[in-house]
Amino acid sequence: MKKTVKGIWWAQIKAVIRLEMKKTFFAKRGLWIYLVAALPVLLFIAYAIATSSQQNRSASVARQGVKRLAYQDLLAVKPGMTSEEVMAILGKPPITFHWTEDRPTQDGTNGSIRVNHEDFHYSDGQNDLFVGLANGKVESLNIRQGINLGQDSIMFAAVFQFFFLRLAVFFGCLGIFMNLFRGEILDRSLHFYFLAPMRREVLMAGKFLAGLLATCTIFGLSEVLQTIAFVWHFPPGVRDYYLYHNHGLEYAAIYLGVTLLACVGYGAFFLVAGMMFRNPILPAAAILIWEGINPFLPSVLRQFSVIYYLKSFCPVDIPASPGTPAVFALLISNSNPVPAATAILGILIVALIALYVSSVQVRRMEINYTTE
Amino acid sequence: MNDRIVFEDVSKFYGEILGVNRINLSIPAGITSLVGPNGSGKTTLMNLMTGLVRPTRGRIQVLDYKTDDPENLFKILGYSTQFDAFPKGLTGFQFVYSYLRLAGRTSESAEQMAWRAIERVNLVDAARRNVAGYSKGMRQRIRLAQALAHDPKVVVLDEPLNGLDPLARSEMIALFRSTAAQGCYVIISSHILHEVDVISDQVILLSNGYVVAEGPIHNVRSEIQEHPTQILIRCSQPRELAAKMFEYPQTIEVSIHKDEGGLLLKTRDADRFYLTLNEMAVNGIDIESIAPADDDVLSVYEYLIGNEEAVR
Amino acid sequence: MAIYRRNYKPYAGPLTPAWSRWFILFRYSRRNLFRSKFMTGLFVVCFFYPMLCLLQIYLAHSVSFLEQIGIPSRVIAIDNEFFFRFMGVQGVLAFLMTALAGPGLISPDLANGALPLYFCRPFSRAEYVLGKSSVLAILLSQMTWVPGLVLFAMQASLAGLSWTWSNLWIAGSLVLSSLIWIAILSLLAMALSAWVKWRIVAGALLLAVMFFGAGFAQAINTVMRAEWGHFFNVAYLMTTVWNSLFRVDTEHAIPVVEAWIALLVYCAICLGLLMRKVRAYEVIR
Repeated sequence: MKKTVKGIWWAQIKAVIRLEMKKTFFAKRGLWIYLVAALPVLLFIAYAIATSSQQNRSASVARQGVKRLAYQDLLAVKPGMTSEEVMAILGKPPITFHWTEDRPTQDGTNGSIRVNHEDFHYSDGQNDLFVGLANGKVESLNIRQGINLGQDSIMFAAVFQFFFLRLAVFFGCLGIFMNLFRGEILDRSLHFYFLAPMRREVLMAGKFLAGLLATCTIFGLSEVLQTIAFVWHFPPGVRDYYLYHNHGLEYAAIYLGVTLLACVGYGAFFLVAGMMFRNPILPAAAILIWEGINPFLPSVLRQFSVIYYLKSFCPVDIPASPGTPAVFALLISNSNPVPAATAILGILIVALIALYVSSVQVRRMEINYTTE
Repeated sequence: MNDRIVFEDVSKFYGEILGVNRINLSIPAGITSLVGPNGSGKTTLMNLMTGLVRPTRGRIQVLDYKTDDPENLFKILGYSTQFDAFPKGLTGFQFVYSYLRLAGRTSESAEQMAWRAIERVNLVDAARRNVAGYSKGMRQRIRLAQALAHDPKVVVLDEPLNGLDPLARSEMIALFRSTAAQGCYVIISSHILHEVDVISDQVILLSNGYVVAEGPIHNVRSEIQEHPTQILIRCSQPRELAAKMFEYPQTIEVSIHKDEGGLLLKTRDADRFYLTLNEMAVNGIDIESIAPADDDVLSVYEYLIGNEEAVR
Repeated sequence: MAIYRRNYKPYAGPLTPAWSRWFILFRYSRRNLFRSKFMTGLFVVCFFYPMLCLLQIYLAHSVSFLEQIGIPSRVIAIDNEFFFRFMGVQGVLAFLMTALAGPGLISPDLANGALPLYFCRPFSRAEYVLGKSSVLAILLSQMTWVPGLVLFAMQASLAGLSWTWSNLWIAGSLVLSSLIWIAILSLLAMALSAWVKWRIVAGALLLAVMFFGAGFAQAINTVMRAEWGHFFNVAYLMTTVWNSLFRVDTEHAIPVVEAWIALLVYCAICLGLLMRKVRAYEVIR
């Protein structure tokens, strides 16, 4: 008999999911969530296009050069060298640019002196060196690196942690999960579910799973596409090295896992918020701030936050650039990471607590549509 | 086994606003109409009965089930609300079918039951169209189909005749009657008093959140003492009959009908009047017919709730 | 035969002057806004920092008291950076206030189909927008440039004519910075509120424009190794403009002129959205 009841519950959950899927995946109102998920993908596609075009340009500059250069050759040029010394090391520059400047004199008078500038552009086929000469001497050096797996990994990690996870997934979950109940109250259609011979907890579970399915699909897919866009422009050899010998695939799997866990954690939070508050903007803002100030909280309070656990999973540490204020450095740092099992358990416990509160709320819920 | 819908000292307040207060009801099978002006608490009473709102005080039981047990309650109860909103993007058929799937029915059985319910409300042709494009009457009918789809024992219908054309009204009234004839509990709220009068087995009159009267309409009428009962008598000698009537102290007023073929009498004691009338008939006055003139919902409504509130 | 009784007589009494008619909307919307105790509470909280600043100005001029408690008087400097900080704090509060109050101005009218009712009166779309935006404009003014000028007046009265004369531009900067921020916030809130119709969603969108926009801007800058991402960060653009108006020395990733232009473009886009949505009729597809 028990099995039959569970069978009915499962059938009801599936029915709820089927109905909700239409709403979350195909509603015009939810299009912005696709946009939010697509933005980082578009960003990495733009990056891939820009980098590929830069690589082509670097290769073309290298071909035009009289000498075949190595990266070490580019580093050999130092400020103060003469143009002849530069050319002795790197050869005649493939691309030059001449211009003049009337520079104010340093002695405090209003006079100016004319400075002849020459800009040299060299390339080793991957990296570019821009040499700025003023009156025949090297005044500025700018190396634009081509593919740098280390830096690119950090860049990907930074975008993932600070944009995708904290903002895109956060706002996406906010849109989908808060809409599950609050949206129906605003549409005045929640009674449709409440009139079915179904436990309210089963309804809540169905709606939560529907939201989870939608967010995991949308943001999981986004994460996979980001990774594809990110590695797309690497030359095949570099790509294989990154994916199979430099933890590339492992990282991609971890990022995907973190994304899915984020959907679970934020989803549960916003489900409760959508039920408890008539205007969920205030709790949403509060959660956003709470997640933001997480590094500054005492360790006990830190555990009641989704980002605390998610950060522990992120495989690449983002180093604070020199001159970063201490406050921001703390925000970036991943001190005291929690073991993976604890983190997963932590998120699941936080989610379960949130779901328990939701189930209490949904039982108490009344249909009393007011003017929203 | 409880065979009634029971309200025990039920009150519902929305903050400081009174929904219904101190309601005690015991509703038997058959068609029961909730009658009352706007804001009298009809919808609140229905929402309480179906668990959509919880009572601030008191206890409600629908047959064997409490209203906070939707899993079992809605197996025997169908509710057609007056909320005119539907889940987005559904066709009429999907609306009923999805409801049955939510109830845990298999795809085949849900489909079969959905079509049967749609047929009952005569909406088969439009069932494949999106509900958003339905007229008000069609939306009303598809809600009825949803409420009836799982063959519930208790059917609660909030203003079910609103927006229906005369033909559809008579079809729906026939449907309510046939449902009640099968031993079901049909609870209807309506403003259209003459229709309520025709179909109801019992009425519940509500005003300002209070039940002002309940029971079969004739019983309710007979208990209203401050308004004399009006009786229309058709006879060949109305003037003679009128003169005789004034001999009895229960008679308050008699007026001769315009066509001189009868009279309208007002009395405080209808039972004693009928006995008296029998004696008169024996004494040679030819009486064609006797019918109560104010033994209907409209009159009762006017007496108890007030003329100004009556919706005609 | 049909009988037509001519009972209806149009209103023939005096009308409110056309120039002040938008004020009706302001009055009712404001009254509606302050029905919420939370809103009233937040409005009061918005004056805590100005009060603190007032105290700071007073202390800065009480040299003997500062000496008594061992604080050098130069620690509390009342200069352009002081007013820039004031603007920063009040600007954040103004944003919060807008996120709560702004979305409810137009969306209920649109959601309930009330616009035809407005526009069947002698009431133009511009007057409608003016009336609604004046609620935010006046509310936010009370939190930004009005207390700012009070602080300036207090400092001027304590510091003397010479300080006032040489720092008069700060008063202008206060007003101008506030007005452009108020314009941006009001237009954004109203445009989003008109666009999505849902008060709550409009509020969420406003949060998203600020927070998500800032994050997206940073992501662009990180990935593309560029600075143009800042154009998506309204708060950054505004800070750049404030920096220049208050003559605070900070390096800007984008030129001030471009920041001004970007802000004006945002305003124009919002106005465009408003004009598209605030109409007496709606095309339903």
